Amino acid sequence: MKPATMPTEELMGSGHLACQGCGATQAMRFALKALGPDTALVIPACCWAVIDGSFPHSCIDLPIYHTAFETAAVVASGLKAGLEMRGDTKTTVMAWAGDGGTFDIGLQSLSGAAERNDDFIYVCYDNEAYMNTGIQRSSSTPVGAWTTTTPVTNYKREPKKNMIDIMAAHSIPYIATASTAYPHDFMRKIAKANTFRGTKYIQIFAPCPTGWKLAPELSVKMARLAVTSKMYPLLEITDHGQKLEVWKDFEPTPIAEYMKAQGRFRHLSDAEIAGIEKDVEAKWERLLAKERMLASIPGL
Amino acid sequence: MIKKVEFKTYREMPIRPMTVGDMLWNLTGSWRNVRPYYDFKRSPCIVGCPTSENIQRYIQLVTENRYEEAWRTIIDNNPMPAVTGRVCFHPCMSNCTRGEYDEPININAIERSLGDMGLENPGWMAKAKATGDKKAAVVGGGPAGLSCAFYLARAGYPVTLFETDGALGGVLRWGIPEYRLPNGTLDKVVKAIIDSGPITVKTGVKVGRDIGLDKLEKEFDAVFLGIGLARSRSMDVDGEDGEGVEPGLSFLRKVNGGEKVDPGKKAIVIGGGNTAMDVARCALRSGSDVTVVYRRTVNEMPAIREEIEEAEKEGVKFEFLAAPKEILRKKGKLAGIVFQRMELGQPDESGRRKPVAVEGETIRMEADRIYSAIGEQADLEGISEAVETEWNLIKADEATGQTGRKKVFAGGDAVTGAASVVEAIAAGRKAAEKIIRIFTGRAESGEAEPATVGIDDINTDYFSKTRQTKMPRIPVGRAREGFGEIHTGYDAALLHREADRCFSCGVCNYCDNCWVFCPDVAIMRHENEYEINYDYCKGCLVCVQECPRNALSTREEGK
Repeated sequence: MKPATMPTEELMGSGHLACQGCGATQAMRFALKALGPDTALVIPACCWAVIDGSFPHSCIDLPIYHTAFETAAVVASGLKAGLEMRGDTKTTVMAWAGDGGTFDIGLQSLSGAAERNDDFIYVCYDNEAYMNTGIQRSSSTPVGAWTTTTPVTNYKREPKKNMIDIMAAHSIPYIATASTAYPHDFMRKIAKANTFRGTKYIQIFAPCPTGWKLAPELSVKMARLAVTSKMYPLLEITDHGQKLEVWKDFEPTPIAEYMKAQGRFRHLSDAEIAGIEKDVEAKWERLLAKERMLASIPGL
Repeated sequence: MIKKVEFKTYREMPIRPMTVGDMLWNLTGSWRNVRPYYDFKRSPCIVGCPTSENIQRYIQLVTENRYEEAWRTIIDNNPMPAVTGRVCFHPCMSNCTRGEYDEPININAIERSLGDMGLENPGWMAKAKATGDKKAAVVGGGPAGLSCAFYLARAGYPVTLFETDGALGGVLRWGIPEYRLPNGTLDKVVKAIIDSGPITVKTGVKVGRDIGLDKLEKEFDAVFLGIGLARSRSMDVDGEDGEGVEPGLSFLRKVNGGEKVDPGKKAIVIGGGNTAMDVARCALRSGSDVTVVYRRTVNEMPAIREEIEEAEKEGVKFEFLAAPKEILRKKGKLAGIVFQRMELGQPDESGRRKPVAVEGETIRMEADRIYSAIGEQADLEGISEAVETEWNLIKADEATGQTGRKKVFAGGDAVTGAASVVEAIAAGRKAAEKIIRIFTGRAESGEAEPATVGIDDINTDYFSKTRQTKMPRIPVGRAREGFGEIHTGYDAALLHREADRCFSCGVCNYCDNCWVFCPDVAIMRHENEYEINYDYCKGCLVCVQECPRNALSTREEGK
């Protein structure tokens, strides 16, 4: 057999409680492979608070601090400080929260920790709604989507919050987006994040077949189409928010292919999808313009 | 820990709510209603190959640098990859799934690289000893005969190989020019086959004339006839007999034998098959201006596409829709030829549109030499009396080569009519296998054929479009000046570049995708395979969806 394409050590085991085809679970496995065993996790209320297992069991062979919804970042700050007080400067602390606990409920504590530039990796696994509590809209839910609080008669009209720009405004050393369809890219970004001291923010697109009304086998396919349809650009922001790199080396695919496979978009007409495609294209162009602009500023 | 931790009293509980066990007690396999399983399928290239070479397998072995095993994989179905890698019409490539995506894998060139490696490493060829209590005679040292002899000898049965000519090779030697298949290469191929096992060669012996078929039947336990098509068919036109008109095969035989030939200033080659192309290009190399005349159009030409293109590039001219009508002579000397203008009518039994004469329209052409290459026929002297024939071809079973006589088998062009080298190799091997089954009394294994994969089964998201790696060659200008081999073969870098393009349709090549993407960590990565742990597989089928090559299938649970 050829050499393995990713580390073979499994820090996340079988028997967990995730749904079939869960993207958040794949993301966790990749992240732990990239970080290795010298890692401690902080998990607030989110799917992963359940996936992990029922007391007194856990599918993850690492210390995890389960905490309240709004406190992932501040607990990570505290955990890191506590470890350092005891002389452990090696252990990586990773806060692992869903989009609800990041974009909405945990935003103030994350902002505070990022402003202090406390030393931990914050990963938001973004499945674009409060999936664990029953698929309620979050500020990460994309425009056009059905959720239980945005029914098809009144689907979500507001665009997804631009969390990346919010984090960039904090001038932290490293920000990246990732997708479960590109595990090696994600693992590289996690490993890279771990080389910086300070707050690192990685947001990984993690499909939720249950909440998206999607056939579970299409989980990875959707994660790929989100990127190739430019809905979810893969990017890295380094130099404290001053350098932006966008991944462009892919064959673009139409947004309809992405949206039509998912039940949460089924109510949208072709015209509405075309409208969304136009917005996505405009956002993509703005992103590339920003990349060029940042690259053209002398001294950077 | 497979056992669930259960606290009987609060005293057993830790002071803080903390984890004391893992989740392996939770057998999530019970959630599954559809089961994924590894199910390797057949790559279409293998189906396309007349001798069913395991092409997917040897290309995969090349990507893993396992050249010797790759070569052995070919040898299981074809003892002369160095020959087919040069002259095969490669129907495998027309079947290649990648051809429907960007460009087919250059299987022919990969096969040639491996074939050449086999010649450079004679040690790769296992030597068989005579262990069988039965012996066989093989008549004809061409591709069919060599193939049959090789597989019989490999199984330990002594073989006596009869050849009319002074050297083995048959059509490979006297029919295929050196620029496509150098004699030196052929010599090595023949030697490797003869040295591989208990094969006794008798050259200069024509079965049917020098020794009777009945005698062979008495002396041997099985006889295989691979006598090929050694005679040119005549054109049946006025003026054909006489100076200046020659069968293409006899011209090729002289050229390939190194004899001096003079194709004149202006030569006309009549026919549209590979012999016509070979004659035309040899005449061109001997300094003649050559025109190929064919009675249908370029689309119906039976010659290999690349050969036609090469001939055209080298400067061979073509005249289509013309059939020879009369050869003109002045005092016995060749003066020219008159062709009947044709047009395409209804399709005939070969599926090609049949040429019909356009009344009153003829063309006259000047010529110093006329070569007929309108087809070959079998030389059945002394054979047709012994075995049943039809249309001047030997009648034999397609799958086993069995003729009407119990001990006599036949295969190759003498059975099928003008076909290809690889089909002759296949016929020789299949006859050998049937003979071995008879010798050992073993029945045919009745294994079901696996399903064949098509482009719709491939997850093309994992492949970016790339161009086929062409085989390096000498420039046309230099090629047409001599008989040196045109294609020079891949180096290691080119070989890997092309082998890496293979989709590996239907067969796992350890890309890791299933293992990487399994959300339930239910795929185990072993030394040489993956295994699904059904205790935990929830049946999400991400592995099936993300397998780029359709090496997994699904089945509903409980059915």
